[in-house]
Amino acid sequence: MSITSYNGSALIAMVGKDCFAIASDRRLGVNFQTIACDFQRIFKIHDTLYIGLSGLATDVQTMHQRLQFRHKLYQLREERNMRPETFASLVSAILYEKRFGPYFCEPIIAGLNEDGTPFICTTDLIGAKQLSKDFVVSGTASESLYGACESMYKPDLGPDELFEVISQALLSSVDRDCISGWGGIVHVVTPGQVVTKTLKGRMD
Amino acid sequence: MLDFSALEPPTLHSLPSSVEPHLFAAPSFQLPAVADLDGFQKAAVQMVKPAKGTTTLAFVFKHGVIVAADSRASMGNYISSQSVKKILEINPYLLGTMAGGAADCQFWQRNLGTRCRLHELANKRRISVTGASKLLANTLYSYRGMGLSMGTMIAGWDETGPGLYYVDSEGGRVKGTRFSVGSGSTYAYGVLDTGFNWDMSIDEAVELARRAIYHATFRDGASGGVVSVYYVGPAGWKKMSGDDVGELHYSYYPVQEAPAEAEMGEA
Repeated sequence: MSITSYNGSALIAMVGKDCFAIASDRRLGVNFQTIACDFQRIFKIHDTLYIGLSGLATDVQTMHQRLQFRHKLYQLREERNMRPETFASLVSAILYEKRFGPYFCEPIIAGLNEDGTPFICTTDLIGAKQLSKDFVVSGTASESLYGACESMYKPDLGPDELFEVISQALLSSVDRDCISGWGGIVHVVTPGQVVTKTLKGRMD
Repeated sequence: MLDFSALEPPTLHSLPSSVEPHLFAAPSFQLPAVADLDGFQKAAVQMVKPAKGTTTLAFVFKHGVIVAADSRASMGNYISSQSVKKILEINPYLLGTMAGGAADCQFWQRNLGTRCRLHELANKRRISVTGASKLLANTLYSYRGMGLSMGTMIAGWDETGPGLYYVDSEGGRVKGTRFSVGSGSTYAYGVLDTGFNWDMSIDEAVELARRAIYHATFRDGASGGVVSVYYVGPAGWKKMSGDDVGELHYSYYPVQEAPAEAEMGEA
């Protein structure tokens, strides 16, 4: 089995009206064996910036630690939080540093700009940035996820509707993938608050 | 090919091959017309090779045999179906399980059903579980090395009581009282071995089998869907239950009102 499908993962980020949602599955596995059902794949960088990392679990954790370190340093020097586009460029640069021995993870970045408009983008494992207006997906179930998002997504959804759409897209896609699923977690972020919900999904 | 004519059932008259030849002859398959047959076969085996992604189990207890299986079919990481029938009804008192190649299991177990019926007609009595499993094993042995993939259990009730055999595409055939086959078998064994009691009631045995398959679907990515449990007794087999594993999980482990889950702390 390929190294990027060793642990299994599924991630989506979607844009709504002045809000965004980012969701992931919770499984950590070793090939077909499920080890844990509470693995964290989405990390908060600051109140309105989240990063989700799919792929090899050890690289997910290392990438998170490195990015958190760099952002804390930025906060100390600049005395403010990083903007989402800046952070995306940082992620891209860190991944390209390892061009000939890459981290086996594919991040999705989701945040709110200073004017409250949502920003999402994804990169491949060596840092190629890809901005999107509607949704980005990543993980072993990515083909299913693209299909589900394409058919379920509508622009300018409010936070509650966005939560429903992203949850249904995630659950229906991971139910067609042997190595992702076992629950889900969704963060819906608006300028004033973050609502985090866990999803009750199929545990097989 | 070994000569098995001595094992054919004795008949009063010569084989009526002139009347219905296709019923009595073993199925014959054309070989591909390629220069490098071995290399081609090897590549074909790899292409068709499914990883026996499944969980099936069967065990004998005081009142008979329990056979249980999941219903997921996977092609690599993709779930191609959540509703595959993995317990095949060979005849009203014989069951076979499916693990490995679906086509192989379906074809050869239906072929086994045909030959069991022919045995009944020729001998005026039902075939034993021993005989049925031997028929299948001999057939599979003759195709050994050609890429068939089957790990099947033949379970039934005959004059000697309950019978259970494990037969596989390598040509192996073993009699036993407890088997689990497939990628999720180790998880099922854990639950099955811990909870087994020879004197269980039928309901307890059915619940044990259901639980064992459920736990395998939880831990094994290649198993899932629906747990089917069959009971084989003196009157033949009976399907006892078919439960969706997604719902079964929450009936065994209901969601508890918990405060926000503990997340990984800041490094």
